[in-house]
Amino acid sequence: MFAAVGNVSLLYLSPWIWYEGYAMKWPLLIPIALYCFGSFTRPLFAAALLGQLAYLGWRGSELGRLPLIGPHDTLTFFSASIGVMALPLVYGRLLRDETAFRWSTGMMAGLFALLALPFPAMNMPLPPILRTYWFEGHVVLAFFAYALFGVGAILGALFLFGRGRILLDLQYRVILVGYTFFSLSMISGGIWGYYAWGTYWLWTPKELWTSILWLFYSLWLHLRLKGAEWDRAISWGALAGFAITLFTYLGVSMLMKSSHSF
Amino acid sequence: MILRKTYDLLGSLNLGLWLIGGVTLLLGIGSFVTGTEEIARLNSMPLFAWLTTAPGARCWWLWLSLLLLALLALNTVLCTIESLRQKKGRSGLLLRLAPQVMHAGFLLIVLAHLISSVGGFKQVMQVGEWSRIGFPDGAGVRIERLDAEVAVQGYITDFSASVTTSDGRRGVIRPNEPFFWQGVGIYLKQVEIYPVKFGILEIHREPGAGWAFSGAVLFTLGNIVLVTRRRQDKTVSGNNEQ
Repeated sequence: MFAAVGNVSLLYLSPWIWYEGYAMKWPLLIPIALYCFGSFTRPLFAAALLGQLAYLGWRGSELGRLPLIGPHDTLTFFSASIGVMALPLVYGRLLRDETAFRWSTGMMAGLFALLALPFPAMNMPLPPILRTYWFEGHVVLAFFAYALFGVGAILGALFLFGRGRILLDLQYRVILVGYTFFSLSMISGGIWGYYAWGTYWLWTPKELWTSILWLFYSLWLHLRLKGAEWDRAISWGALAGFAITLFTYLGVSMLMKSSHSF
Repeated sequence: MILRKTYDLLGSLNLGLWLIGGVTLLLGIGSFVTGTEEIARLNSMPLFAWLTTAPGARCWWLWLSLLLLALLALNTVLCTIESLRQKKGRSGLLLRLAPQVMHAGFLLIVLAHLISSVGGFKQVMQVGEWSRIGFPDGAGVRIERLDAEVAVQGYITDFSASVTTSDGRRGVIRPNEPFFWQGVGIYLKQVEIYPVKFGILEIHREPGAGWAFSGAVLFTLGNIVLVTRRRQDKTVSGNNEQ
């Protein structure tokens, strides 16, 4: 796994590297445990998120920038984004008693934080081309969108498991906001690209899959106009959309040659 | 009668859904079949220049995508017209207009890509201090100075180029800070100082950029209005129209 994935080499099987890596990342283990084993209660869910935000804040203060480079930082940021986006719903009126939602989003956030652990934390200074607010805005908005698509998928799954239709209404609003964030991410990426590389668009696998993801959710939002008989299809669509999201984020970076990875 | 049916079909939701799905699928296929070499070529020239020179096996998906996209653009226009006609008096003005403003933004972005795909330009060049970039009309840009900051570890942390144009304009080019002159942007990609000081510049003309930005602004305005108006709806059902 380590030899094949991205730019992680067999070097990282070295025990010393593992020890040093985990020594730096131990604060992340606590929120992971809270997410995975404590999300059934809202205070523990919130505590997990706070722990993650504290870890990201600490990394950010060490680096002097937002920790947004490489698989470790982006997976951790993605995990925290899921927690941030789910928190209003966890404490909201509609899902207050919905334990399954808390568990599911907590487990999702915990899983991605766990996935971040094997990867080295990249501590190098930002290359000049990345030192712009357009880059940071582009990445932050993308992960907020990914997180909302993940939350939307969970709501769809709960509907398929027999929960009320109110979940679909909530799902629509969640995914619509995610779509807004994602569109803004694409726009800020285009503006950054124009100032950095002379064009607002490049034909790379990442851009192609970004377009695929945007088009898919455009289709999903229009599919709702077909009426209530399409509710199950819409729920499955949200799950498929999140699968496309994960391929766009992780699959393209790890499996395809693209200058635009992580 | 036939015209009416054709009009209804071309502006229908079902056709729009199939077209979006088709473009999505074709782009997915294209991401796997194109190959890194062809992608590098595609990024070095206007889109239509590549489409007319690339092997069929590498570019058929993009030809089909463009065809479907053209139909989708038509579908969007007709759907917008019908949507505005049918919703008249049935819902708030903002909620009625917001999706159509988004559609307009989308169409402008498609137009932007079309403009860039025929009128775009890119050239890469290596320059040294006192090099001159000549333009077809005899004008030019002189590279006065190349600078680079080097970290103690030996890698370059920042770089810039000071330039002067033939009409007396001065500027400094840095990463994310290009120099715009005579309709082109001059971008500094790299500076090396050992053993010889040189820089890598790219000259870009992106005629669709302004249209893309306008489309993006419109799309965002419509999107934000839609989100805020939807939040105020107490009941949002699958029958609610966007």
